Amino acid sequence: MEEKITTRRKVLIGMTSAVGAVGASLAVVPFIASWNPSAKAKAVGGPVKVDVSKMQIGQKIQVSWRKQPVFVIRHSKEALEGLSQVESKLDDPSSLKIDEPYRDVNPTRSTSTEYTVIAGVCTHLGCAPKYYPEMESQPWDESWVGGFFCPCHGSMFDIVGRVFKGVPAPTNLKVPPHYFDGSILTIGEERGTA
Amino acid sequence: MTQQSSGFFNWINARLPIVNTYERHLSKHPVPKKVNFWYMFGALASVVLIIQIVSGIWLMFGYENTEEGAFASIEYIMRDIEYGWVIRYMHTTGASMFFAVVYLHMFRGLLYGSYHKPRELVWVFGMTIYLVMMAEGFLGYVLPYGQMSYWGAQVIISLFGAIPYIGESLEIWVRGDYYISGATISRFFALHVVALPLILIALVFMHLVALHEVGAGNPEGVDIEKYLDEDGVPLDSVPFFPYKVLNALVAIGIFGIVFSIIMFFFPEGGGYMLELANFEEANPLSTPEHIAPVWYYSPYYAMLRAVPDKLGGLVVMGAAIAILFVVPWLDRSKAASIRYKGILSKIAMTVFIVSWLMLAWLGTVPVTALRTNLSIIGTIIYFAFFLLMPIYTSIEKTKPVPDRL
Amino acid sequence: MKQFLIVSFLFVASYGAFAAGGAPCGDYGECDSFKPKLNNIESLQLGALTFINHCYGCHSLKYSRWGRIAKDLDIPEDIFTNNLVFGTNVKLGDRMTGSMKPAISETWFGIAPPDLTLVTRLHGSDWVYTYLRTFYEDSSKPYGVNNMVYPGAAMPNVLASMQGQQILSCKDVPIIASNGGVRRDEMGNDITEEKCGYLKTIQGSGTLSVQEFDEVIYNLVNFMTYVGEPSRSDRERMGWYAILFFIVFTALSYLLFREYQKDYH
Repeated sequence: MEEKITTRRKVLIGMTSAVGAVGASLAVVPFIASWNPSAKAKAVGGPVKVDVSKMQIGQKIQVSWRKQPVFVIRHSKEALEGLSQVESKLDDPSSLKIDEPYRDVNPTRSTSTEYTVIAGVCTHLGCAPKYYPEMESQPWDESWVGGFFCPCHGSMFDIVGRVFKGVPAPTNLKVPPHYFDGSILTIGEERGTA
Repeated sequence: MTQQSSGFFNWINARLPIVNTYERHLSKHPVPKKVNFWYMFGALASVVLIIQIVSGIWLMFGYENTEEGAFASIEYIMRDIEYGWVIRYMHTTGASMFFAVVYLHMFRGLLYGSYHKPRELVWVFGMTIYLVMMAEGFLGYVLPYGQMSYWGAQVIISLFGAIPYIGESLEIWVRGDYYISGATISRFFALHVVALPLILIALVFMHLVALHEVGAGNPEGVDIEKYLDEDGVPLDSVPFFPYKVLNALVAIGIFGIVFSIIMFFFPEGGGYMLELANFEEANPLSTPEHIAPVWYYSPYYAMLRAVPDKLGGLVVMGAAIAILFVVPWLDRSKAASIRYKGILSKIAMTVFIVSWLMLAWLGTVPVTALRTNLSIIGTIIYFAFFLLMPIYTSIEKTKPVPDRL
Repeated sequence: MKQFLIVSFLFVASYGAFAAGGAPCGDYGECDSFKPKLNNIESLQLGALTFINHCYGCHSLKYSRWGRIAKDLDIPEDIFTNNLVFGTNVKLGDRMTGSMKPAISETWFGIAPPDLTLVTRLHGSDWVYTYLRTFYEDSSKPYGVNNMVYPGAAMPNVLASMQGQQILSCKDVPIIASNGGVRRDEMGNDITEEKCGYLKTIQGSGTLSVQEFDEVIYNLVNFMTYVGEPSRSDRERMGWYAILFFIVFTALSYLLFREYQKDYH
């Protein structure tokens, strides 16, 4: 008994394999999709509201959104005016490397003229950077002008979360979707998408 | 290129016999050239085993093995997880299809005498797989912690109470509590997802190794090893690859149609696969009006109910399974296949099938006096079929079995 | 063979015994048939509205989420939030855990009203459809109503204002002779007898006609059937593709099998 490979066989093998492959790849879809966040996770990860009117000038608070830290900072006018002076130290002052949601709206990078809203997740390897607002000499930078320092791998960011040159973090801290309704800040959605 | 890769495989093969194993168990493995559809259910059983393992792993991602969370976690899988319902229905349909396929596979064994010398151990391993599957199915059914999970488990665990002296403390030991609680669920979960599947896979491995040692049977009961070609390959055989693989593909295709119809259109199986009472969370203070096992246990459940004695019922049910193990030594017929056996075997087989189906139905419906009597008749026929087998297979006149397939 | 015949006879006979068992819808007998239309979005929307307005006060749908219903029923989120979700603290991702505390409801009804997410799967949609339409006035019960499907149900007939008063009444029904025909007297008139236990709605006592009320209940149960298994219409749609796929696959592999069978036949 000899197995002959005729053209008919080749065509049939090809068609059967192709149909089988299509079926297999469709069958895999539910198994892959089921790893996405569930409706429960999405509900828990829904937008959060916070009243920012009680914040002091220069204060930073931490809000938890999707169980991740989001920093809200209320800046003084002086601090915001000083932002342009540190630009020489920055790697990407205009946030061109990332998908900046509110580009060229306010120096705060947020939708507010006074508050900055940034994800407290270092763009290097995910640690939470610490806030050192004072303009004073620090162990990691003698001419520290205030901003965020990540204790894990020494990345530095300015007070609105823009990354310094020569640090491991590749990009600026992300700005999460948010909007202000008076003094009520909603993090996690854009205005009007609710 | 071919030379290089074969060189590579030779290098590996000299250290780890993958090529030999592949050829021996898959590609060159000789299979009788003429078999019928009854010989496809073994391959389908391994397909379902894979479906159950994969869908089971995926269910574990959403399932919560606690008393408070178990029932809700099933609805979480069904609603909140993307395509969670596909995975759950795949698993529940798979459980029923596993038994369906295995019952047909076992029936093939009885019909064509697949347990005849030299395949006794293949049969014994197969029966052990069946036994473990029954335990696996039972444990799995408890996990959703619905009313039927709870009360079904209550009934089955209470059977342990029939064992003299130690029964009652054994019941508590099995549950780890005074009722079927979170403690019971978490141990059943561990057994269902880790311990029994490991045993099952090991047994399937043994079943296949034993089968490939002695070779597959055929519906004629012909020993194909009698006539070999110059390479020692049976003349009436074809290599597994590609010939029998194609057989299996057709079978898988048809099986897929059946599986899809049930899974997508009748996932509850009319209440026989997913019992409706199980859509209510377990309530230890209120028994549902009618407790019935899922269909694949029902013949044995009917036997249990036929016996008006707790210990007696347990013994009969256990014996009904145990007797299957010794079938290779009960059948004294010279012919393996029903095709060449005598009239007595054919009558016995017919009556056996009818009474088994009747028991299967009786196990799912509420008890009445008439039905209890029917269950008793069915149980007697069931045991008579096996216990009288040495007699009717040795006195009847068999037809001569041909030499070639 | 004789044994075989006896067994088959008994087999058939016992099926008859089963059919004569308890009726699925209690005193009502067989349930009225209910065929869900899960693709009829309008019916589902109306059903959801009825549920929220009349049932959700006592019964939760705790495995279901608000947002899922809004999405599946094509209700824009703002309309949904303003018209269906009562409670300002409710977020769309929340589960519909009910608006009543179990402890309070237990003192009101003697029993906590059950969660209804899975009720159509537990009892069947037929049962729920029949149950909701078979309340009748019975002054011996605490709420003045009883139910034919579930006698002694600890639930008031919350839709009574729509349905109106429904009572148990008697009527004359023709006597059926043993040959299956209607029995007649010498004059050729049908012989009748009075039988009781029929539901009768007093006309004009409710805001809806019987047909309109049945439609309200139809939509409600249609919605509850959807909530019992929200993925059901997806499931049935995907099922056709799966079956079609396996038919094509079977056909191709059969051709291939036949082709290779030539080698050894």
